[in-house]
This record gives sequence, C-alpha cells and structure tokens, in this order.
Amino acid sequence: MTQYEEKLSAFLDGELSEVEAAEIEAALAVDPDLVAELEALMVADGVAKEAFAEVLDDPVPMELAAAIQGAPVGTAANSPEAPRGYSGWFAAALACVMLAVGGIGGFLVGSPQETQVAAAAPGWLADIADYHAVYAGQKRHLVEVGADESDHIETWLTASVGATVRIPDLAANGLTFEGGRLLVAAGKPVAQLMYTDAGGAVVALCLIATDAPRDGFADRTIGAFDMVSWGGRDANFVVVGDTGRSDLTAIAEAAATQV
Amino acid sequence: MLLPRENEIAVCNKAANLARSKQGCVGAVWVVADLKRELIALLPRLRRFARTLTRSVPDADELVQEACLRALTRADQWDRDQPLDRWMFRITRNLWVSEIRKRGVRIGAGVVPADETSELVTVETGEAHVAASDLSRLMATLPSELSSILLAVSVEGYSYAEAAELFDVPVGTVMSRIHRARKALAARLADTEGEAQ
Repeated sequence: MTQYEEKLSAFLDGELSEVEAAEIEAALAVDPDLVAELEALMVADGVAKEAFAEVLDDPVPMELAAAIQGAPVGTAANSPEAPRGYSGWFAAALACVMLAVGGIGGFLVGSPQETQVAAAAPGWLADIADYHAVYAGQKRHLVEVGADESDHIETWLTASVGATVRIPDLAANGLTFEGGRLLVAAGKPVAQLMYTDAGGAVVALCLIATDAPRDGFADRTIGAFDMVSWGGRDANFVVVGDTGRSDLTAIAEAAATQV
Repeated sequence: MLLPRENEIAVCNKAANLARSKQGCVGAVWVVADLKRELIALLPRLRRFARTLTRSVPDADELVQEACLRALTRADQWDRDQPLDRWMFRITRNLWVSEIRKRGVRIGAGVVPADETSELVTVETGEAHVAASDLSRLMATLPSELSSILLAVSVEGYSYAEAAELFDVPVGTVMSRIHRARKALAARLADTEGEAQ
C-alpha cells in the first residue's frame, strides 16, 4: 500500500501522470484500506479549506489598510512620512474620488465588525471602515441605482443623507446621468451621483449634509483627479473628474444652480 | 489648476513610461492609486498567507505591510496582465525569508529542511496564534512549511510546479509536504474524534 499511499495527495490534486493515476485507480479498486486513506485525506483537505476560509473573516486592521492607503508613493519604504490626515470634508471628497476611480472593489474587505473600529478611528481611517459597513456584500457596479430610477434616487438619497438631493441635468455640459450610490465618508452618509461624458469618462457629484456649508468654490487636485467643491444650503458639494478636464468648474457651477 | 504633490511627481518620473499610463505623470499617479486599491482588496488573503509563514498575527500583519509598501515602491514593475496575488505572495514570501535569516530563527520556509521537523507542533495555550476556533487551532498545529504550501495548493490554486517555484523547493518536496500536511491533519482529526468518544 505504501508506494501508492504516498501518491494519494498528488492523485487528489491531479498532479500525477495518466499512467500513475491509472495505477492508483487500479489499486483503489482492490484495496479498501487505500480507499479509507484517500477519504481521510479528502476530509482533512476539506477541513483545511474551511479553516483557511475562516481566516478571511478576520477583520483587516484599519491601521494596516491606512498604512497602505497613506503610503507616500514612490518612496514608501524609505520615507518616514506618516499617513496623511485628511480633514472630514476633504475625506468625503477623497471617498468620492476613490469610488469614481473604478468601483468600490478596493475596500470591500473584512466584515461588518469593523464598524466598531470605525467609531474610534480618526479621520479618513473611519471612512475606510465605514465603506466596509456600507458596501460589504454589495455588487460592484458603477452605480447602485440606475438613472432609470431617478425619482427613487432623489428620495432615497435625501432620506439617507439628511440633506436635499436633486439630480442636476448636466446635458448642456455633455454629461449623461448614470445613477447614484450611497457611501459613507468621515463617518457620515454621502450621496454620489455619477455622470459620464461622450468619451465614457466619469464625473461624480457628491454631497454630504452639514450645518456649516463652505463659502464659495474651491478647486484642488488629489492624485489623478481634480475636484471643485462648494457649499449649499444644508450640504457641501464636490464635483470630481479626471485631472485635466477643463470643464469641471463649469460643471460645478451648472450643478450648483440646480441642487 | 493645482499640481500633484511633490512625492507624487517623484513616482511619475519613475513610472511615466508605463505602457498603460494615461497622460504621462497623471497616469503614474493613477497607477499607484490603482495598486493601492488592489492591494487593500487583497489584504485578507495576504494576511492569511503571511500567517502560515509567521505563525503569529502581529508578525503577519507587519510582514504584509512591509510587502505592500515594497510593491508600491515597485509600482512601475506592476504588470496588470499578471495576477497581483501571485506577485504579492512572492514578495511576501521572499521578505519573510530575509526576515527569518535576520532573526536567525530556525523556522520554516526552507531554512530547516522540513524532513527534520516534526509533523505537528505544540500550540501553547495563550499564545498569540489565530486560535479563535477549533478549526484554526487545528491548523495551528501544522508547521509553517506544511501549512503555507497546503494553502498555496489547496486554496490558492497553485500547481505543484508553481508552488515549488514560490517556495524555492523541488516539486517532489511540494508533493511530500502536501501529503504530510493532510496526513497530519487527518491524524489530528482522528485523535479528536477519539477523544470525543
């Protein structure tokens, strides 16, 4: 039995040549002990898979995700620079950027347990944790609710965000409304409305309820994105698009008159 | 219009020639942002792999962080046509090998020939291992050089040849370690059943 027994795992893994596999099969047909051995190995492998799967449920420490997200690019290993601490609203804007980049897959790790971490974590760390809580289990789409349900989006996001959400018509700026999603940043719900231009580039309009709306328009660049932000009656707004868009301010101004 | 921050420009210079970069410098920043996002998405699996190497949660997290930062400094080498997980497992494993050489700790990953180690290690109570459930306690009884290869093959889908390359051992060694890992688990399961009866 020994000569075959040693090959049973490789047999299970499909790592034997046809000839060797045929030998094992022939041996199994006449040797109940070998069959029992094979079954024990299969059970053990199943247990191992289950145990390894269980490990994935362990929440990722926020500090770890933060260290990667905040790593200064290009000089990460050598630079003593600490992760950047973004302020609340800025964090919300950054959250919009991250989602505009290409869906939400990046932060879909961990489990709802992480919201407990979020409560205590400062700044944008809390955002990452909140993403988990909000998006865990949701599918990866550009939008959560499509443009064909615009009325619903307005009602739903208004109720969720705690500030009036209206979908501006930005057709004059060459933008088509694609839909919306709800996210959480700086510990607060954020409404995100997604638009695409004729070339398929995504422009996002995000808003977060606030008691202290900012004055006037401000633009800044984060990574590969430009953003223009302004304050409304009960919310702060930001429009996010690829760096180099010359029309972002115009889009923001057009949106500001409608929201 | 504001410009990217200085440190972002630094990486632009390094990665500006990336085939997929959009608009030169901006594209390089984009690449790093993408890589960060994908790395964060990969964290659960990287941590799991690292735990089989280090057998300690804090060590594993430190190792994973170091591996991710290493990858980010090499963002210009990131080939999106190749699976990121394989690249990261390799970086993680190589870093760990350097680390245990530094520490002079004679554990796992080819430092001690696996044939010289016992099949089962004793898990002391109170140790900072995963040990949250019966299953993880059971897995913690496997020495690193067995559990890491078992994870790679049974769960992460490595062929024996690919695992041999990752762990820098002959294919025959992969074959025997996989088998010994399963046999050890089977024996432990049989013991547990015996105790329960």
